[in-house]
Amino acid sequence: MAIRARRYADAKAQASSNTELLWWVFMRVSGLVMVFLVLGHIYMNFVLIDVSTINYTYVAERLSNTTWKIYDWLILVLAMLHGMNGLRYVMDDWIRNPARRFATKAVVYSLAVLVVIVGSFSLFNHDFSKDLKQAAQTQGSVKP
Amino acid sequence: MYRGREGQWAFFLHRISGIALLLWLLLHTLNISSAMWGPAVSNRLMLFFHVPIFQVGLLLVTAAALYHSFNGLRIIIMDFTGWGIKYQRQLWYGVIALCVLVAVPGLILTVPRIIHAATHGGAQ
Repeated sequence: MAIRARRYADAKAQASSNTELLWWVFMRVSGLVMVFLVLGHIYMNFVLIDVSTINYTYVAERLSNTTWKIYDWLILVLAMLHGMNGLRYVMDDWIRNPARRFATKAVVYSLAVLVVIVGSFSLFNHDFSKDLKQAAQTQGSVKP
Repeated sequence: MYRGREGQWAFFLHRISGIALLLWLLLHTLNISSAMWGPAVSNRLMLFFHVPIFQVGLLLVTAAALYHSFNGLRIIIMDFTGWGIKYQRQLWYGVIALCVLVAVPGLILTVPRIIHAATHGGAQ
């Protein structure tokens, strides 16, 4: 059962388990961190540049940089955990039938794991700098 | 827990914006990850997301991110200070004011770009 308290002391009293209290704390901590990470991400890729200029070359250059790999992976993992736990509260509220709730959660959590795996592979299992170098050698510059 | 209209709206908008942001996280991660299959695949996908209607959608997602961020800070203030709950209504108007304050220059900057891309078939 999700915690409905508005204070840490109340949350502690209401928590059905230590895990539930831990999630309550995690939502606040990850949320505070993501205010800076995500608003920074939006500022860099939506305000500083025109989004309609974003293409393969832009992404490949960005994902060749270790700083952005770590930055993006932090957002991916924190946002996925924060979002999926939030959706768990929503599913507990909105899906009354236990069998249907279980089935929905199984599908939703599987999708989350899949997206985290695909995202992590693109960040850490692919050498974009090699692609860019190869493209530069064969055609002078990378076609947009 | 909540008494009065503002608290209900704050909660409802937080939930809806959260669901929208989670959906965006899934789409956006898969879209950007497609770069690992090379320019042929990922440029085609990104062009699809550059269609004007999606750019307007992107503005809505950004608005959701702003509201969810600032209202999240309001929730943290209510949880960890002695005075937060007493002033939750005033804090919520502060959240809305902050959103508008950030959204106005953001729109002034991005809307002309979207219109330009829509009318010229590409970026500036």
